[in-house]
Amino acid sequence: MYRTETHSAPAIPFYAEQGDECRLFEHAFEQRLPALLKGPTGCGKTRFVEHMAARLGRPLITVSCHDDLTAADLVGRYLIGDGNTVWNDGPLARAVRTGAICYLDEVVEARKDTTVVLHPLADDRRQLPIERTGELLQAPPEFMLVVSYNPGYQNLLKNLKPSTRQRFVALVFDYPAPEIERRIIVAESGADERLATRLVKLASALRRLTDQDLEETVSTRLLVVAARLIVSGLPELTACRAAIVDALTDDADTAEALNEVVLAAFEQ
Amino acid sequence: MEEWVGARWHRFIWRAADVSFPKATVRLEDVQRAVQMLFRAGGGDPLVRVAPATAQKIGGPRNWLQKVAGQGERAALSTLDEQTLALPPSIAVFADTALNRDLYLWLAAQGACHVATSAGWLADNLSATQRALQRFPGLRARYARLVNAHLAQRPPAARLQGTARALEQAVQAALQASIADGGESAVSAPPLPSGGAQPAAVAPVWLWLQALAPDPNAANFIAESDDSTAARQPKDNESHVKQDNKRRRAQRTEDTTSKDGLVMFFRAESILSWSEFVRVNRTGDDEDNQDYSQVADDMEQLHLAHRKPGETLAARIKFDLDLPSASADDLPVGEGVPLPEWDEKSARLVPNRCRAQRLRHRPPPDDGAQAPSTDGAAAMAQRLKRTSRQVRRRFEALRAAPRWQHGLADGEELNLDAWVRHQVDRRDARQPHGESPPIFSRRVRSERSLATLMLADLSLSTDAYATPQARVIDLVRDSLFVFGNALDGVGDPFEMLGFSSVRRAVRIHELKRFSEPWNDAARERVAAIKPGFYTRMGAAIRYGVQRLDERPERQRLLLILSDGKPNDLDHYEGRHGLEDTRHAVFEARQAGLVPFCVTIDEQAHQYLPRLFGAQGFALVHRPDQLARALTQVYIRLTAAVR
Repeated sequence: MYRTETHSAPAIPFYAEQGDECRLFEHAFEQRLPALLKGPTGCGKTRFVEHMAARLGRPLITVSCHDDLTAADLVGRYLIGDGNTVWNDGPLARAVRTGAICYLDEVVEARKDTTVVLHPLADDRRQLPIERTGELLQAPPEFMLVVSYNPGYQNLLKNLKPSTRQRFVALVFDYPAPEIERRIIVAESGADERLATRLVKLASALRRLTDQDLEETVSTRLLVVAARLIVSGLPELTACRAAIVDALTDDADTAEALNEVVLAAFEQ
Repeated sequence: MEEWVGARWHRFIWRAADVSFPKATVRLEDVQRAVQMLFRAGGGDPLVRVAPATAQKIGGPRNWLQKVAGQGERAALSTLDEQTLALPPSIAVFADTALNRDLYLWLAAQGACHVATSAGWLADNLSATQRALQRFPGLRARYARLVNAHLAQRPPAARLQGTARALEQAVQAALQASIADGGESAVSAPPLPSGGAQPAAVAPVWLWLQALAPDPNAANFIAESDDSTAARQPKDNESHVKQDNKRRRAQRTEDTTSKDGLVMFFRAESILSWSEFVRVNRTGDDEDNQDYSQVADDMEQLHLAHRKPGETLAARIKFDLDLPSASADDLPVGEGVPLPEWDEKSARLVPNRCRAQRLRHRPPPDDGAQAPSTDGAAAMAQRLKRTSRQVRRRFEALRAAPRWQHGLADGEELNLDAWVRHQVDRRDARQPHGESPPIFSRRVRSERSLATLMLADLSLSTDAYATPQARVIDLVRDSLFVFGNALDGVGDPFEMLGFSSVRRAVRIHELKRFSEPWNDAARERVAAIKPGFYTRMGAAIRYGVQRLDERPERQRLLLILSDGKPNDLDHYEGRHGLEDTRHAVFEARQAGLVPFCVTIDEQAHQYLPRLFGAQGFALVHRPDQLARALTQVYIRLTAAVR
């Protein structure tokens, strides 16, 4: 499934604030402005939205965009049922109707003609026209549109159209500062302080290799995965190899060299 | 016979005196990648390359066997400067291969943390050791093993005398202190006897580096060369395939002779006496077949003399690049475009630093006397027929990649979604509906909007042989030809430009314009490219960006075919050239272009990732790989174009 729904989760998901982004998001919500989250893979964009949705008490509808995602996938389509056709709302239409937060993850992956349906929703009209049913949905005040994308993403030919980009309040994310990242690892995996500190140190070493040696660098998510594997009893090096080194590269030589970096940063 | 005996004796005595462990040798190229990545991961400057070091004079006592064999005087020691981390080409210090390998890794980590201060060699190394151990706690156990193994090999201080003894004691104490307490606590450098802070005064400490201070004269030279007509690089017409990338110690020296040009001095320490300069004009060497890299290997330090301004014309013609006279030169087209250049020191773009002049190949005068060119367009077409057809077919296949188009009145398949919509519409009497409802889907060829600009490096370095059969320029020419044919087959608009430079005058050779068809004239121009001058790559890229900016296509590719590093006569070399090129690539990305470099330089992996990103370049080793490589590049770059 390409979408998941969380209906006002009982507990607020953990999120360690890096700057002032929570307040900014709240203001955007109050002012009924759509938000654009920019940042590298695995730096916590999705978690941030989940956190904010829970904090604001709004249901969250997430759509992971891909290059075959059509406008109909977002807005809705007719389905056949009992010899009859039934209109079925897409995630976007449902979010508008119910006043939810609609989160389009990696929006640049979607086709360009798809993102155009967001335009009337993203400006002060806040409307979603559904051509097939002839409806014009007016978004309630609680509805919010959030999109995310990764500007440094390797597929350089894909980018967000300026006309789309300029409709959003932009929130820039990056990998958290070492101290915050350490807290995140501890909170997410149950790792002890020592392990978390070492993982953060390893991450800072690996991040120096971005661009020149590695396409993408180690994300907070990968660190958490490694920490969870270690906490569950796997030896540190095995866990790092599986969760970090082999996740970063497919090239055997690079993997060997990365392993040396891990060994140097990590061995007992 | 005497020679034979001599050779045998030399081999015998050399082996007998050798204290290293050849069976446990680890070579630098085997660990290069790990060393480089560890160095950068530890915080080392990404522009510093890792290169094999040359031998230099070392200190320490020698046993009589070594003295007989003439061994133990020189060894490749690790050094670090602004541009290079020079490590021994191979390490066989310990009997254990793993330990030798660890030594390489340790040197990389130590190099990353090394800061040259006025405290001296020993103190610098101690503090670097400490930082490295903190940054890479995983190296602690290995470092301790290395220190212990090395201490066991060091000459016992008790057997030495005087300053040597005190020095040896200091070094050993420092090494021991660095592993006490797991390397966690701070260690201060032990007091040194006066005048003994030089690494050459003791037996080599394999675990340490020597940081070379930047040449204080370098700045002056750059300032001078800006307006003088000095040429630092002799005409590069070597035809040997073997690349020599050893890092050599060099020092700029004032040329005190009244003779011309680029004069290299060398210190023939091992021949006459220890401090005498022997003036040898290397540019005018008699023997042509001499292996210069061997000569350079034997020298401790190369001295490069800078040509003084205002020297005779004869000297300049000899060593500067022979610029064609205006009548023989290619035809200039237009005024020339001023271009900025990135100054890394002040981190800003300096406007109007260079000027790009478009040139068009002037066909040789048809007086019948000249023999027809051996490799004209026709010959080239014949030679590359197969490759060209291959690539063209692959490109056409790409273009034909179909996609689904929905909502059509007729087509191959019924679109259920559209059909349902149609059924609903039909039930709704209020909505009009036609007889041919748009409920079909069809696979169609997609519309593309892609402009490609190819920039070919035509600098003199492309005259070197990439393979025993082909020069780099031949590969570039073939690439241009094959790619041109293929792009022409696909129907995408493209432009081809060659570039070279002489200082700030950037020569842009017009091979094929966007507006021109890919015809015989264009192919003839491609066939006629010849190497010359230097590589001011940043300016060429900026020019390419300007050209592509004028194109209406949605996707724009900037392909750079090059053989190597950016460099030019003035200060455009080394770090400055790399940083400028890097910034030009960054500007291209900002402009929404896709810069990509296809290179023939085997050493490219050392600096190209820094310029173009890990995924921004491809390496072509052999001409027969060309077809495959070019197609792959194209597929990768255009995969997202729909």
